[in-house]
Amino acid sequence: MARYGMALDYKNCINCKACETACKEENGVLLGADNHRIWVGMKEIEGEYPNLSIASNTFYPSQCQHCDEAPCQEVCPTNATYYDKDGQVRIDADKCILCSYCINACPYDARYVDDRTNTVDKCTFCTDTRLARGETTTACQNTCPTKVRIFGDLDDPNSEISQVLQNREHFTLKSNLGTKPKLFYLI
Amino acid sequence: MHIKEFITTIPVKKVTLRDIVSFEKTPINLLIAVMTLLFLVLFAVGITTYILHGHHAYNVTKEHPWGLLIAVYIFFVVSSTGLCIVGSLGDVFGFKDYMMISKRAIFGSIITIVSGFAVIAFEIGHPITMVIYNILTPGFTSAIWWMGTLYGLYMTFMIIEFVFLLKHNMKMAKIFGLTGLLVGLAAHSNLGGVFGFLNARTISNGVFYPMYFILTAFITGIFLSFIMYGFKYRLKFDEKATLLLTNLAKIQGLLIAILMFFVTWKMLSDVYGGMPNRAEVARHIFSSATFWAEVFFAMVIPLFIILKSAGKNIVGMFWGSLIGMVGIFFMRYNLVHDTQLKPLQMLKTSEYQLVPTWIEYFPSVTEVMISLGGLGLCLFLYYMGTKLFNLDE
Ligand code: SF4
Ligand code: SF4
Repeated sequence: MARYGMALDYKNCINCKACETACKEENGVLLGADNHRIWVGMKEIEGEYPNLSIASNTFYPSQCQHCDEAPCQEVCPTNATYYDKDGQVRIDADKCILCSYCINACPYDARYVDDRTNTVDKCTFCTDTRLARGETTTACQNTCPTKVRIFGDLDDPNSEISQVLQNREHFTLKSNLGTKPKLFYLI
Repeated sequence: MHIKEFITTIPVKKVTLRDIVSFEKTPINLLIAVMTLLFLVLFAVGITTYILHGHHAYNVTKEHPWGLLIAVYIFFVVSSTGLCIVGSLGDVFGFKDYMMISKRAIFGSIITIVSGFAVIAFEIGHPITMVIYNILTPGFTSAIWWMGTLYGLYMTFMIIEFVFLLKHNMKMAKIFGLTGLLVGLAAHSNLGGVFGFLNARTISNGVFYPMYFILTAFITGIFLSFIMYGFKYRLKFDEKATLLLTNLAKIQGLLIAILMFFVTWKMLSDVYGGMPNRAEVARHIFSSATFWAEVFFAMVIPLFIILKSAGKNIVGMFWGSLIGMVGIFFMRYNLVHDTQLKPLQMLKTSEYQLVPTWIEYFPSVTEVMISLGGLGLCLFLYYMGTKLFNLDE
C-alpha cells in the first residue's frame, strides 16, 4: 500500500496546459470550463504598462488535494466519497446521489458534476487507468514539459517525492482548515 | 388489534368529488383555488423540464451548487418543525389552552414536510439511490445523512401521532408526539449543522445555525398557526381562539426579540471578528435587499404589531404572519445563498473567467415553477385535510 501525493514545482510552470489536456484525454473528461479535474491558475502581471513586473506573473497548477482529512468525505451522506487503499479520495458513482454537499464542503473547488453520469467527479490521481495497470505515474505528471509535477509514495522515504519534500521548503493550501492536503507546493 | 383493522377505524370523512369542489365561492376562496391549481400545473411543467434537462434546467453551478430548491425545502421543513412544536404544546406538554390547535398543527407539520420532500426530490440528483445507500452505506459523519434519516423517522412519528389524535387516544398521541418532537428537533438542528459543518464557508461555519434553526422554526410555527386560524375563522375569532392566539402572539413577541438579539450578535461578531471570508461576506449581506426583506418582514413588522397591542391585535397578527412568512422565505433563501457568496478562489484568479467577485445566482424559471409547485401541493393537501379529517377537537 502506498500513500500517493504530489509535489508541484509551480515556479517552473509555463502555463502550456499540457497537463489539462493529458488529464482530459486520459480520463475521458468532458470538455468545457465546468468539467475539469485540474487547472492552471494564473496570477496576472502586476504594475502598469510599461512598468510591468514580469516576475509577478506566476502560474499555479491545482486540482483535488487528496486531503488526508477530507471534508468532502466527511459530509458525504452515502459514503460515495471514500478513501481507497492508497489514501486517494475517490467517488463511487453508483452511490453518489448528487446532493452537492461535497462541492460545497471542498475548500479547494475541486469537484464538478460530470454530465454523463450526473454524479460528482474530480481528480483521481489516475487510479482507474495508470495506477490500475500497475504504473506509478499520472497523466499530468508524465506530460509536463518542465517537470513541475512529482508524483509518488509519501510513505516511501526513498521515493522522489519524499526526497524532494525533505530537502525543499514547501507549503500546502488553506492549511489552516486542517484538511491535510497531499498536494505540496515547492518554494 | 391488527394493522388493517386499526387503519379501518381511523375516523375519515367520506368525501365525493363533489364535496371536494364544493366550497363557498367567495372571491378570496376562488383566488386561492385558482392559485393552487395554477401552482400544481407549474409543478408538473417544472418537473417535466427537470426530467428532460436535469440540473441544466436550474441555475445552479459548480460555484453555487445549492439554489432555490434547497431554500424552499428548508422553508418547508422549518414550517413542519415549527408546527410540530406548536402542536406539542397541547397534547405533549398538556397546556390546556393549546389543546385545540394540536390536531391542525400536527396535520400541518405532516403536509409541510411532505411538500418539502416533494421539492427536494427534484434537487437531489438520484433520490432512489439515496434511499438505498442511506441504508446500505450510511455516512455517519454527514449532517445530511442525519438530517434526512431523522426527518424520515420524524414524519413517520408525526403521522402516527396524528392518527392517534384522530382516534382521541391522547395517551398514545402523547408518546408518539413527544418522540416525534424530539426526533424532529434533532433533525432540524442537524439541518442547521449541514451549514455549520462547512469549514470552507466561514460565514456559516459554527454552532449558530443548529440553534437558530430551532428558534426560527418555533417562530414559523406560530406564524402558520395565525394563518391557519385566520382562514378557518375568516378573521372573526371566537373567545377560545382569541385566547389561544393572544397567548401565541405574546410568545411570538418574545421569540422574535430573542431572534433579533441572535442575529444582531451574529452579524456583529461576523463583521468585527474580522475573519477573512467572513467579515466581508457579512458586510456584503448588509448591502443586499433580501437581507433587509428578511429583517423587516420576519422580525420588525410582526414584532411591531405585537408590541403595539400587547399581543391583542390578532387580526393584525394574521396579516403580520402572512408578511412574516414572506420574511421567513427570504431568511431561508439568504441562508443558502449567502453561504456560497464568496468564491473559493482556488488559485484561478483569472482562469476560466472566474473573476473573484461575489458569486451571482438567480433562480431559473424551472426552479421557480417547482418551488411554487411545492406551495401548491401544500395548499392542496391542507384543503384535502380539512375535507377528510376533523381537524378540531
Ligand atoms: S481537495 Fe476537495 S475534493 Fe479533494 S479531497 Fe480535499 S476536500 Fe475532497
Ligand atoms: S454529491 Fe455525491 S459524492 Fe458528493 S456528497 Fe453527495 S453523494 Fe457524496
